[in-house]
Amino acid sequence: MMLEYDPGMIAIYSPTMIPIYLCGIVAIYAVIRVVMEKNTLRKLVFLSVMNFAITGLVVLTIPDIMALFAGLAYFIGSNLEANAIASTYVGGEYSK
Amino acid sequence: MNEFYILVVSLIIIIGVIYVYISRSPFDKLIGLAIMLGGAIPFIALNGYLDVALLVAVIMPLTTIFILQATGRKTDDS
Repeated sequence: MMLEYDPGMIAIYSPTMIPIYLCGIVAIYAVIRVVMEKNTLRKLVFLSVMNFAITGLVVLTIPDIMALFAGLAYFIGSNLEANAIASTYVGGEYSK
Repeated sequence: MNEFYILVVSLIIIIGVIYVYISRSPFDKLIGLAIMLGGAIPFIALNGYLDVALLVAVIMPLTTIFILQATGRKTDDS
């Protein structure tokens, strides 16, 4: 697979790879918890955890200043999305 | 390094799509769409299209909010 940012990538067994491995493991764990959970509001908590981890993956992997803005936009948008789903699910007097 | 990254992100996408397919409640389907988007954004960003990733990350929550106006809160099982 041909990737554009290959020269900036880091070796596999390097101490600077530890945050990326941690973010990936946290993302997989949060996704598995979202799928296995019964309560919908508890699912949204772990969805926010997954959003943190994905933002960390995007920002830590790509050595470019534009990746910071992409991560910023994704973090704000996904948190807005999760909170919109939660507030519609709880349902104040607006949705009645 | 790329192998770990691609494995994690594609696992997230596949789990999200299967969860959208098998879940019954519309809120659970929207949560699965959010999982699928979270897997798709790093693939767009890894190939260098960072402006496309920024625009997708802004527009996709807006569509979710518009869909939420259509799906009211059902009090039975959702």
